Amino acid sequence: MVLHANNLVKRFGGIVAVNNVSLKINGGEVVGLIGPNGSGKTTLINLVSGFYKPDGGRIVFEGIDITKKEPYERVKLGIARTFQIPRLISNMTALQNVAYAIVGSKRFREKKMTLEEALSEAIYYLDIVGLLRKRDVLVKDLPLYEQRLLELARALATNPRFIMVDEVMAGLNPVEADNVAKLVQRLREEFKLTILWVEHVLRIIMRSVERVLVMNEGKIIAEGPPHEVVKNPVVVKAYIGEEVVL
Amino acid sequence: MVIRVEARRGRLIIHVLNKWRFAWNVEPRYWRNPLIAAILWICLPLLILLMPRGLPIGPTTLLSALFLANVVSISAIAHAFQTIGTGRLNFGPNFFVVVGGYVAALLNKNYGLGPALTFLAAFGITALVGLALSPLTIISRGLYFTLITMILPFIMHELVYWRVDIFGAETGIPGITRLIAVESITDYYIICFYISLAIALTLLFIVDKIFRSRWGFMLGVINEDEDVAASFGIETKKIKVTIFTLTSGVMGISGWLIAHYYGSFAGTLWLDPWLLIFILLSSVIGGKSAIYGSVLGAYFVVLARDMLRPFIGGLALLGLYAVLLAALYLLPEGLWGLYRKPRYREYVPRIYVRRKL
Repeated sequence: MVLHANNLVKRFGGIVAVNNVSLKINGGEVVGLIGPNGSGKTTLINLVSGFYKPDGGRIVFEGIDITKKEPYERVKLGIARTFQIPRLISNMTALQNVAYAIVGSKRFREKKMTLEEALSEAIYYLDIVGLLRKRDVLVKDLPLYEQRLLELARALATNPRFIMVDEVMAGLNPVEADNVAKLVQRLREEFKLTILWVEHVLRIIMRSVERVLVMNEGKIIAEGPPHEVVKNPVVVKAYIGEEVVL
Repeated sequence: MVIRVEARRGRLIIHVLNKWRFAWNVEPRYWRNPLIAAILWICLPLLILLMPRGLPIGPTTLLSALFLANVVSISAIAHAFQTIGTGRLNFGPNFFVVVGGYVAALLNKNYGLGPALTFLAAFGITALVGLALSPLTIISRGLYFTLITMILPFIMHELVYWRVDIFGAETGIPGITRLIAVESITDYYIICFYISLAIALTLLFIVDKIFRSRWGFMLGVINEDEDVAASFGIETKKIKVTIFTLTSGVMGISGWLIAHYYGSFAGTLWLDPWLLIFILLSSVIGGKSAIYGSVLGAYFVVLARDMLRPFIGGLALLGLYAVLLAALYLLPEGLWGLYRKPRYREYVPRIYVRRKL
């Protein structure tokens, strides 16, 4: 098992954003996480990546208790993430945005890499996502679609085993969304990744994942294969509104 | 020929033994080339001594102003470095200057330590004070951090008046050993200028090397988005604490220079907001482009004040602030921006302070 979260709780004042959530993700799995806005999906990702410290519960990654570990330590263990709204360094180029993820990685120190070597390796990750030609473009000049790709390249550069992809298709047109979905699938196979995929575009996520978790009001209300979950009356009532034809 | 100098296509090329080749771009926009700038800087006192007599400002006044400009430069470089490395704007740099000054003054006066030893002590003890205060860079950010650091000079001010027996209040601590013993006042000014210049250049060299290394790269990421830096494996807390501690120590060196240069040290004078404004404005007037702009800004601020004095006397500070406001308005990218060509591929962190609380 790659990730095991047990009874996670996160409160913001009187609001319980994540309420006794437990989940298990096995190695090589692609797990979808869906739910209405404000259901606690991104908060859950923030808890696993270390952005937030939980008020209760425990997170174990590959047998190591990471509940109290800092975000940078979790990255070094093999956990990476992308952001719902791309958080890239806008004053740096695409290449530099991938390079700092390499500089911060465990192998940078272990292999005694130089900055130049990190930049060379960053080119490899940019090429994988199809951004090689944009390597010297400032991030603030990149369109949203390319920023999403760059976020994936940056996450890959940390050499992860587990990636949390947070609404990577938000704001993209259907063609771009399809491309991103194919890319995520390809990365999973090439890099042998385990993926937790938060998404609102059901049409694509239902095709791309093996298992779906549904969150509502901070709790996981349903779990199972996509074709079963979309027919679950609780899910239909809380999130979908009508049955999805896959 | 052992050494052959060649000027070609706007470049100065020096061939040594036909084996090694050193080339510099001498186009005006490349004047930021550190070596050319350093040579100009080193020659400044000579240019002042060659000035015609009978001008409203005498050479000794200008030489003294150059020394003060170097002192402000050292603090401004350290402050700019701190701002970049921590992503936070410290509003109390003069507090650290005064701590360094008092350490030098008290150790010299009470224990007879010479300037060399007080130099190490001023750096070390101010760095320790910085280390004690460094958790501020972890627990606060944005306006909170600025306000907390702004209180530090006021606390020191009260402390100075509370323990007059130790700090001497307005009278300060007189009788401190001078930086160097020479007869001629002009020689003293020139030697002190070069001592302060050596410190400033060493500091510039070190900071420049750091900025161009992987550390500078990481500092840039912290400066731009600390959360992203942490999410991608950068140990933000350790780096921020280290930077805050070391730069505080460097600001203490400015205090050491002041104490040994004037031979007395009155903290109340340096805790006054003018020094704080000089250090902060040096970065802004010089330009947001990290450290070189701070030096330009420090020289501009200090020399503008001294140039205005013969013409408007007691209103010099008021005149200076008017000039600074005009400069801020007319030069949004600062003095450095006049020459800087945007070359983002060579990313060197620029000062950028997040407003998030």
